[in-house]
Amino acid sequence: MSEDRFGDLLGPYVLGELTPKEERELERHLEACSSCWDELRAVWGIHNALREAAASEPPPELRARTLARAKGESSSTALSRLRWTVWVPMAAALLVAAVLGFGLLRSIIYDPSDGVPLTATALAPEAGGEVRGEVVGENLQVELEVWGMPELRENEYYEMWYYAEDGSRISCGTFRTGPGGRTTVNLSAPASARSYPEIEVTREPDDGNPAANGDEVLRGSLVQL
Amino acid sequence: MSARSCSPGWERAFDSKMKDTADEALVRRVAGGDERAFLELYDRYSRPVYATGVRLLGDAQLAEELVQDAFTSVWQAAESFESERARFSTWLYRIARNRAVDLDRRRRVRPLSVGEDPLRTVAGGPEPEAGVDGWDLARALSRIPDEHREVLTLAYFEGLSQREISRRTGVPLGTIKSRTTAAMKRLHRIMTRPLDEETQHE
Ligand SMILES: [Zn+2]
Repeated sequence: MSEDRFGDLLGPYVLGELTPKEERELERHLEACSSCWDELRAVWGIHNALREAAASEPPPELRARTLARAKGESSSTALSRLRWTVWVPMAAALLVAAVLGFGLLRSIIYDPSDGVPLTATALAPEAGGEVRGEVVGENLQVELEVWGMPELRENEYYEMWYYAEDGSRISCGTFRTGPGGRTTVNLSAPASARSYPEIEVTREPDDGNPAANGDEVLRGSLVQL
Repeated sequence: MSARSCSPGWERAFDSKMKDTADEALVRRVAGGDERAFLELYDRYSRPVYATGVRLLGDAQLAEELVQDAFTSVWQAAESFESERARFSTWLYRIARNRAVDLDRRRRVRPLSVGEDPLRTVAGGPEPEAGVDGWDLARALSRIPDEHREVLTLAYFEGLSQREISRRTGVPLGTIKSRTTAAMKRLHRIMTRPLDEETQHE
């Protein structure tokens, strides 16, 4: 091995990624070469700093939440606010009525000044929440308040969805809760989410799978029967 | 079904042009409403902001709030950022520190729970130049060449082995090994050389 070759191996060496043979040769070389030894010290320092930085990684879903909130807060100051009127296209409403099997479809117009209540599921009977929203430009900006939510494990998060009975759904963003299972977050979805009649909050495992595969913790409906 | 249309975090589109852009140029794009530039800055600096939150506020939940607050401020105040007057990292550090003071004040309104320490050090806290909480490292990472940052990000933040990095990038394993070493040496040089010398190399 040439001298350059040894110097090149210092990174994988501190990462523990050399073959046993490479490692033996490098260590033998280090005993004799003070310049490689000095470089090794520098590389160790960087290795430790990178390891420490990696250990203070914020949860991955915070990235999307932060963008949604930044956009939400600035557009609400920059644009004139359109009050949120939730409307459900007739077809979707009729579908809901058909699925429920009765025709008591009295009102499908939601009072825009009220929040939509979210009710608990068997998973967390104490939990509750409320959703308010408004359409800003191309987006539906949502303020979600929840309480009494079950404590999350480290690798879990909550996610809010708009969905239709046919199973199609739109994610509105993810969040975690504070003390008392309580938090208020600003989320955002494409404005087309308005046409979905149902809302749910699920507890999702952080398994890299963006589809809804967790348990439903809260649910609400934009259709009043 | 299942369009995660408002959660871009799942697919970090690799935009090499963006990756090679200096922090300060990215802030100018953010001022124009560029989301990808915003997310690139987030990827570069969310770790030190978060670490600062954990250290100053002693609470992971509040540290997450701090990250959101600080980057929301970046989005809103990008227009007022003057690159002649401060580095982005210094500017962001000041924002984060101020937001941490706010968060701490709000927290003090409610009684402290067991094990929770009131924040005492924030107001006169250290400057990022002091090398606390990975700020120096984050800034240095934003200054090394794209291909160097890529191998280090994959190795340390995504936990890939050298072999996996080789497979992921299509670059021979031997090259990945020497590139990893070169990237670490380069980071070390940037972090140890005097500030004025650093700016001359821009
Ligand atoms: Zn040597």
